[in-house]
Amino acid sequence: MNEDRFASVSRKSIVYFIIVSAFALLGFRLFQMQIIEHTDYKEKAAENAIKPIEITPLRGVFYDRNMNVVVSNVPAYTLRITPAEYDTSLNKVIETVIDEQPGYINKILKENRIYSKFIPVRIKRDIDFKAVSWLEENSEHLPGVDYVVEMQRGYPAGIQGSHMFGYVREITPRLLEKHKDYYKPGDMIGYSGIEKAYEKFLRGVKGYNYVLVDSRRREIGKFKDGAEDIPAIKGKDLVLGIDSDVQRVAEESLKGRRGAAVAMDPKTGEILAFASAPDFDLNEFAYVTSKDYLRKLYTDPDKPFFDRVTSAALPPGSTFKIMEAIAALDQGDITTSFTIDCRGGQTFFGRYFKDDAAHGTVNVIHAIEHSCNVFFYNLIYKIGMPEWEIYARRFGFGRKTGLDIDDESAGFIPSVAYYQKLYGPDWPKSIMASLGIGQGEVSVTPIQLVQYCSLIANDGVTYTPHLVRGYLTNKDKKLVPFTYKKIDLGIRDSIFNIVKQGMFLVVNGSGTAAGIKDKDIQIAGKTGTAQNPHGKDHAWFIGFAPFDNPKIAVAVLVENVGFGATYAAPIAKRMIEAYLEKDKLKEIEKKLQPELPQNLIGEAVAH
Amino acid sequence: MRIDYKLNDKFDLGIFIPAAILFCIGLAAIYSSTLNNPHAAGNFQKQIIWGIGSFVLFFVIYSLPTNTFKTLAIPTYVLSLLLLVVVLVIGKRISGQKSWLGLEGLGFQPSEIAKLGTVLALAYFLSRKNTNIESFKDILIALSVGLFPVILIMLEPDLGTSFIFFGLILAMIFWKGISLFGLFVVLSPAIVAISSLFDLYYLIGSLILVIVALLFFKKDILFSGSIFALNVGAGFFTTYLFRALSLHQQTRIRSFINPGADPLGAGYNAIQAKVAIGSGGFWGKGFLAGSQTQLQFIPEQWTDFIYCVIGEEFGFIGTIIVMTLFLYLFMRILKLASSAKDEFLSLTLIGILAIYFVHFLINVGMVVGIMPVIGLPLPFVSYGGSSLLADILMLGIAANIYRTRKNYT
Repeated sequence: MNEDRFASVSRKSIVYFIIVSAFALLGFRLFQMQIIEHTDYKEKAAENAIKPIEITPLRGVFYDRNMNVVVSNVPAYTLRITPAEYDTSLNKVIETVIDEQPGYINKILKENRIYSKFIPVRIKRDIDFKAVSWLEENSEHLPGVDYVVEMQRGYPAGIQGSHMFGYVREITPRLLEKHKDYYKPGDMIGYSGIEKAYEKFLRGVKGYNYVLVDSRRREIGKFKDGAEDIPAIKGKDLVLGIDSDVQRVAEESLKGRRGAAVAMDPKTGEILAFASAPDFDLNEFAYVTSKDYLRKLYTDPDKPFFDRVTSAALPPGSTFKIMEAIAALDQGDITTSFTIDCRGGQTFFGRYFKDDAAHGTVNVIHAIEHSCNVFFYNLIYKIGMPEWEIYARRFGFGRKTGLDIDDESAGFIPSVAYYQKLYGPDWPKSIMASLGIGQGEVSVTPIQLVQYCSLIANDGVTYTPHLVRGYLTNKDKKLVPFTYKKIDLGIRDSIFNIVKQGMFLVVNGSGTAAGIKDKDIQIAGKTGTAQNPHGKDHAWFIGFAPFDNPKIAVAVLVENVGFGATYAAPIAKRMIEAYLEKDKLKEIEKKLQPELPQNLIGEAVAH
Repeated sequence: MRIDYKLNDKFDLGIFIPAAILFCIGLAAIYSSTLNNPHAAGNFQKQIIWGIGSFVLFFVIYSLPTNTFKTLAIPTYVLSLLLLVVVLVIGKRISGQKSWLGLEGLGFQPSEIAKLGTVLALAYFLSRKNTNIESFKDILIALSVGLFPVILIMLEPDLGTSFIFFGLILAMIFWKGISLFGLFVVLSPAIVAISSLFDLYYLIGSLILVIVALLFFKKDILFSGSIFALNVGAGFFTTYLFRALSLHQQTRIRSFINPGADPLGAGYNAIQAKVAIGSGGFWGKGFLAGSQTQLQFIPEQWTDFIYCVIGEEFGFIGTIIVMTLFLYLFMRILKLASSAKDEFLSLTLIGILAIYFVHFLINVGMVVGIMPVIGLPLPFVSYGGSSLLADILMLGIAANIYRTRKNYT
């Protein structure tokens, strides 16, 4: 061996040194990883191997006031395919069974290619029972194909309630961004109506099952035999104030029209019926909505999505006269002995305002009965513009009622300031005459009118209108009521008695709605016509019954038909009858929809 | 001289026992990591059969006359080169590499034989009486003998095995007695080549260091200039070679620089391996109880990532025991190499030691995250018939040299 500066002995030492330092380095590294940083790595290993599986709780259902289920959960079968185990040569057969075009399965599998091949892909929701039994029979020849039961919304009471109930849908990316503390992509969320407003009650609390997974995220088994699992908590069932029978009548009566019908218990503020027409089929929104149906709804000139009950802001017409009568009586501007001689029209501030007829000498009661315009033209000047505005606002106009679902319009009550801004300090006072009969810039919504009608019926006291009475406890199904704000106008009962007499005569005297007089039920009401510069006038009717102990207040709007008495009042009558006379209801129902139950069964099968 | 007639005199238990224990630990780890994997069912049994065969071969090699190795040195080398060419033509392609020859259902890698062949051939050349390690020509011949198989292996392409060759060439010419300057001439192109893999600044920096070193050695201008040119050439050739590498090897090398950049791609194994080892802690999670292993977070863990199984299920205790066994084995071979009186045998032992050591260093370094993910098995422990056979065959040579160590005076 060459004995130069590197002696053999020193070469051995160098090799020895290299080996020992390599071991020292690796040993230190192992010490660092396995002892110093052990906890971090342990957590990472646990994250790797334990997968929490979310359990979606059952969504709360809706009961009506008679404890009939109106919105339920129904199981629907969803066909799934696990791509890793699936043989695409089965496509043809399965597509035939689930009644889809060739290429349907490939298209969906392609869309889901970004996910693990071991995660089942939802191929079709709500497959029919025939397909399910076929899958069951042939399961051993269908590797990677299975079905799961998923819950979707059902509407067993035969009422639509589209705008009131609302619908659930898969959470949108925008909403997800806002609520990422609870929701995950693919979760369902209440998107409109009660489903949206009471989402936090309805959704329940997600549970988690912990399972062991391998590196491909396949489930191997339960973690600690399920000892750490968190069960899901079912969503709260809601009890609504709705009476399904009244609701059904309201919906049927509005069929083919544009309008709204809303009923309320004047003593509690509970909404008894809530219908906006045209409406849409919530069944179409039960899980996935077809694009065709959505396009149809969006492009419909009658705007089915538009909730007319809360958002149609239109002039109240003559229904406003009650408020004005109360204001004048309350301020002491007039008494029942105050009369006006109606000659079919009168000039105010240089402008002539006409009436439908010459009513002769009328006091406040008969002015209401006959809806005498001249009387109320004069009355608003007696009340005064600022006071008129104050009273209108006291009755809840010009602001949202605070109904427990979203998207309400405030309507509009013009003020002195408003006209001064528009026309200058010397604004034409003739405008007031129009306001006196509920026309012009003033606009109200049906929900405001039903609150207004309730206040009149119940002598100035009611509660904020609301759809939901409370929720049921999960354990013993006890009703936990929500509390709502009491509204008390602080106006003497005697004043209400005067205007109510007028409203009684509207129906039971020789008034504008004498056509809806009922021999059993004493209905009081007031017609209204909202002038429409773009077409036929809109018909209003507000009413309550029974006269001496009001249990139901109603506001009905029918758009573009003309007079309130002809179109809106009969609908109100049917709703009142439905509520107050359950027996009589059945006959009416037969008359309206003799094949109603059969129709529903037919529909359920077709879906 | 006193002759010891005890067993230990003829048979080095210090070599045999650590290797045998490592093989058994390996069996346990293979059993654990393949238990839940239907694709790897039977690997445990296969390894036992290979093991038995290998240990039989060990005793055959052990019993051969020691001069057989010198006689067979050149034929083995030539044969292995031949097989390397054959594998390029008819080899099976497994995970992007064309490095396997199918022999009646048994996979076999010619590069395993090439390692031994190169060690023997290099030892043969370096131990010739007229070989002068200080002569430029002889260094060049030695390097050619060592690097020729590397070129063939690079073509497969098998980066990991190439490192083994660099290691054994370096160790053997060092052991032969190369001077500091000679070492510089051999080593500097390699350093420049590795620097060039990072980026241009590293390449320029390393070339400046070469100039500084050349000034230090004060050789004549022409000689220094040609060495510098060699370095520049090595740098640019490597850059070119890197681009010619298969994409997955490029990403492997890149992911070493930053494993977190692509946690599901090339860096995935490195991260999962660290999690497995780190989560084992001091005592480990227990045999068959490691979640990373049992749930197969590391693909093909029974081969190159076997050390993770030990780290996760047997903990720090387990990894340190394995390290200690290796350290003891290496020290034993080093001692034998320095006491061997025949230069050919001494160099052969150092070559074998280098093969084991580089395997160990790269494999363990890889799983603990201080080396790039280069697919090299852990000697005696990893699953794999031909590498086990080669490891034990070389162990047989070492044991044989021990047996006859007193005959070569």
